[in-house]
Amino acid sequence: MKKRLLSLMVVAAMSASLVACGSSEGGSSDGASGSGVSITVLNSKTEIQTQFEEMAEAYEEATGVHVEVYNADTDTTVASQVATKYASNDPYTLTMVDAKDIYSLADDYAYDLSNEDWASHTTLGITVNDKLAGFPVCVEARGVIYNADAIEAITGETFDPSSVATLDDFQALLDELKAGGMETPVGVLSEYWSLGAHYFAEVYEQQEDPDAFVNSLLAGEADLGSNEKFNELMDTFDTLIAYNYAKGSAANADREESSMMLAQGDIAFMFGGNWDWSVINQYDYTENMGIMPVPENTSDDTNTKLVGGGSKYFFVDSSDATSDEQRQAALDFLNWLVSDPEGNAFLTEQCALVPAFDNIDASALDPLSLSVKSYADAGKLIPNYNYLPDDHMTVVGQEIMQKYLDEAMTRDELVTAVEEYFKTATPIEH
Amino acid sequence: MENEVAARNKKIKHAIMIIVLTLLFIAFVFPFIMVILNVFKVKADITASPLALIGKHGFTLENFPNAIKKMNFFTVFGNSLFVTILSTIGTIILSSMTAYLIVRNNWNANKILFVLMIASMVIPFQVLMVPLVSLYGGIFGILNHRVTLIFMHIGFSLSMATFMFHGSIHTNVPISLEEAATIDGCNKWQIFSQIVFPILKPTIATVAIIDAMAFWNDYLLPSLVLGRKELYTIPIATKVFYGQFSTDTGLIMAALLLAMLPILILYIFLQRYIVEGITAGAVK
Amino acid sequence: MKTNTMSYKIKQYLLFAGISTVIFACVVIIPFIYGLYLTLTSWDGVSRNKPFVGIQNYVNAFADSGYWVSLGRTFIYSAIAVILVNAVAFIIAYMVTSGIKGQNFFRAGFFVPNLIGGIVLGYVWKFVFNKAFVALGSFISSGNAKSLLATENGAIAALIIVSVWQYAGYMMLIYVAGFMSVSEDVIEAAKIDGCTGTQSIIHISIPLMTASFVQCLFLTITRCFMVYDVNLSLTNGDPYGSSALAAMHVYNQAFVNKNYGTGQAEALILFVICAVIGGIQVYVGKKGEVQA
Repeated sequence: MKKRLLSLMVVAAMSASLVACGSSEGGSSDGASGSGVSITVLNSKTEIQTQFEEMAEAYEEATGVHVEVYNADTDTTVASQVATKYASNDPYTLTMVDAKDIYSLADDYAYDLSNEDWASHTTLGITVNDKLAGFPVCVEARGVIYNADAIEAITGETFDPSSVATLDDFQALLDELKAGGMETPVGVLSEYWSLGAHYFAEVYEQQEDPDAFVNSLLAGEADLGSNEKFNELMDTFDTLIAYNYAKGSAANADREESSMMLAQGDIAFMFGGNWDWSVINQYDYTENMGIMPVPENTSDDTNTKLVGGGSKYFFVDSSDATSDEQRQAALDFLNWLVSDPEGNAFLTEQCALVPAFDNIDASALDPLSLSVKSYADAGKLIPNYNYLPDDHMTVVGQEIMQKYLDEAMTRDELVTAVEEYFKTATPIEH
Repeated sequence: MENEVAARNKKIKHAIMIIVLTLLFIAFVFPFIMVILNVFKVKADITASPLALIGKHGFTLENFPNAIKKMNFFTVFGNSLFVTILSTIGTIILSSMTAYLIVRNNWNANKILFVLMIASMVIPFQVLMVPLVSLYGGIFGILNHRVTLIFMHIGFSLSMATFMFHGSIHTNVPISLEEAATIDGCNKWQIFSQIVFPILKPTIATVAIIDAMAFWNDYLLPSLVLGRKELYTIPIATKVFYGQFSTDTGLIMAALLLAMLPILILYIFLQRYIVEGITAGAVK
Repeated sequence: MKTNTMSYKIKQYLLFAGISTVIFACVVIIPFIYGLYLTLTSWDGVSRNKPFVGIQNYVNAFADSGYWVSLGRTFIYSAIAVILVNAVAFIIAYMVTSGIKGQNFFRAGFFVPNLIGGIVLGYVWKFVFNKAFVALGSFISSGNAKSLLATENGAIAALIIVSVWQYAGYMMLIYVAGFMSVSEDVIEAAKIDGCTGTQSIIHISIPLMTASFVQCLFLTITRCFMVYDVNLSLTNGDPYGSSALAAMHVYNQAFVNKNYGTGQAEALILFVICAVIGGIQVYVGKKGEVQA
């Protein structure tokens, strides 16, 4: 037994050291071996991971640069994944993050991109302290997604989204659908990011001066309950609740199921954005879909605009963990995306993203992205507000809006809760 | 007469137990059956009719080859096997030795070690997560090696394994047996390796299955340590199927089935040792 | 050989526990101390500077009412789950060691849940609660049944059910090992002395299995207190954050809300509570252990 134990340990130790040697050799190939350098990319737009990997192979064949694409971890936030990578001194060469993360990362880790050729082709890049830090990956916008086939099957007329810009008209259509046999024509996603960062965020974004409004909330001065935009949006939300197919257990409506019902025309409307296409197209969908502004009974023109703008940003690592060759390769890659036809095709055709650059032609998009693009081209996008406190999504989205969605909270209680939240929230410096 | 009544009672008792067990069993394997039902469907059917035997789009075997290709199955399978086997062997040997030392010697150093180990079992992992990568990545730069992962796996599982061996050495290894061996001239190491270790078989089997399973399925630690695709283990590789906006349920199910087979086989194999019980216990 | 000299003790210690001590210290103790230091800084988790702020994070943690609410919830959840897990596991272990037909098959079957982890587990159970149970409920009450997951208490109940399902098979394994370690001879002897089956369980098996009980209770208590993955994949705090248990709150605080120091401090408080409860339980249990 003793011998057996010992020999086991010896074998274990030996094979361990063998592997140790093996993998350290593998590791040192970075940047040195063969013709090209090797860079790592974090892709946090997980729905394009497959396309991204295929593109990376083609890119290596064409340029000799090895691009290793890593998928963002869905169990945690992108910010914490990037943070642990920096803590372990093993950052990605190119990291794709949300706008908000750029602000916290830029000072320490982002390389200045302002001298790049593409910089003049976009207005959506993110500049932090005079440093162009974020490369915009695409344009995304949110609103109410509609299934025109499902509507037309009942009304018998071609659906024109602009005919339901006001809540009254929207409500009339919902009633017509209901009378025509579609008992519950609406889906509302219950995920806190959808409720907090996408729907309720419009309350700030549709203000004339979002920054001033949020600051007055933080200072405890704003009167949310009497705010016009707030009430208009919440009136619409009440209507969405009333016609929600998951009414009764609205707080845990299943995202896949809601998207499937919309795709198949079991429901006609769902609040969301053009990224939802990647779920919808998994089911028996129709091309006759689009995104329209959130209907509102309002005196301004917010009910003719979607809310959105640049979405997902690349930054290039500036730390010592990345060699100059790797950095150059990463910069070349970004330029390739914007200036090379292959790079353009990757963005617009393979990934169906609405490009954030004016020199990229995009005509082969999915229906939702086409909607977004038409609003963007017409200048009808209300910009995203990127400076909400970090816990806004979990507190306002989950604890407050979800409760309201489930009709377990009145509008007055919601107002008090949101105002209370802002009094103790930590503002984001910008 | 009495024997007959006893035999009949026993039969009734067994029948009742089998019924209860069967009911519980169905509840326990139900989710597993769900996995098997859905692995042969395309994603659209899984969402639409998860309980149906065959979905609208028909029966498909596609999920298996797709999953194998997408997650680079054979490479990651090899990685998982390597890490799991070495970590498990290391944990069992080291923790049984440590437990033996602690049980048989009432020294202060042992007490301190044991208390620290027990306390460490309740440290929430996220307390250690960032410090761990800062130290081993930021300062020593030894992440991205499978051996580092094995080292950490052993470090984290030592406590619980020691704790389990402690209990079973304490209760099941008769001290008289060791005293006899000492008289026969055995030293402590011989006593441990030739007498105590073999008696611990059921516990060894239990610890082996529990730890092997934990290592095999662990996601968080490997994902922190192994940042290179060629080093990925199965759980990290399976992650390519989870997206924030689209989750490829069919492929996940296939990957799950492929990944769980080795553990199931290990379990069935090791069960023998757990069942065998302690033969040496008779020497008491 | 002298067994009480210092050099003998050191040699024995190094021989049997030397490697373990080194690995344990490197992997657990040192990072833990570093983690302790981080709670004294206002680090956001990513930037290069980690400003020292003293005990400010602990002050924040004590003032974070959401944390204490989630902790209270965790107590209730753990108390119920620990009792149920152990009761179910013990009963199953007893039945599958009583010599009935197909016991090996059952043992494997009850173990299977352990092999399904992560998101699949959440996905499958979500379906069970939202669809299968709702359909069943509507059928029985001939009305519209609401999913367990959609109500505040229901979501916690669902977490308990899944925990029992997940851990009972695992703990069964330890109890089975315990039952097997009780020698047949002792039970036979008791039978000859006139013990019934139940009596021999209560008076002989259970006392001899104290080690198994101590282990299982400790494992279930600590696991329940720190449960995170099931919480994440099954409820993610829904509805309205009412099912977020302590570990999830801590995780969100550190990584979603980017208050790394406060999250870390809250995690340490959780650790101290767990350690105290677990310690008491092990101490009491070990006292009652029967020595062979």
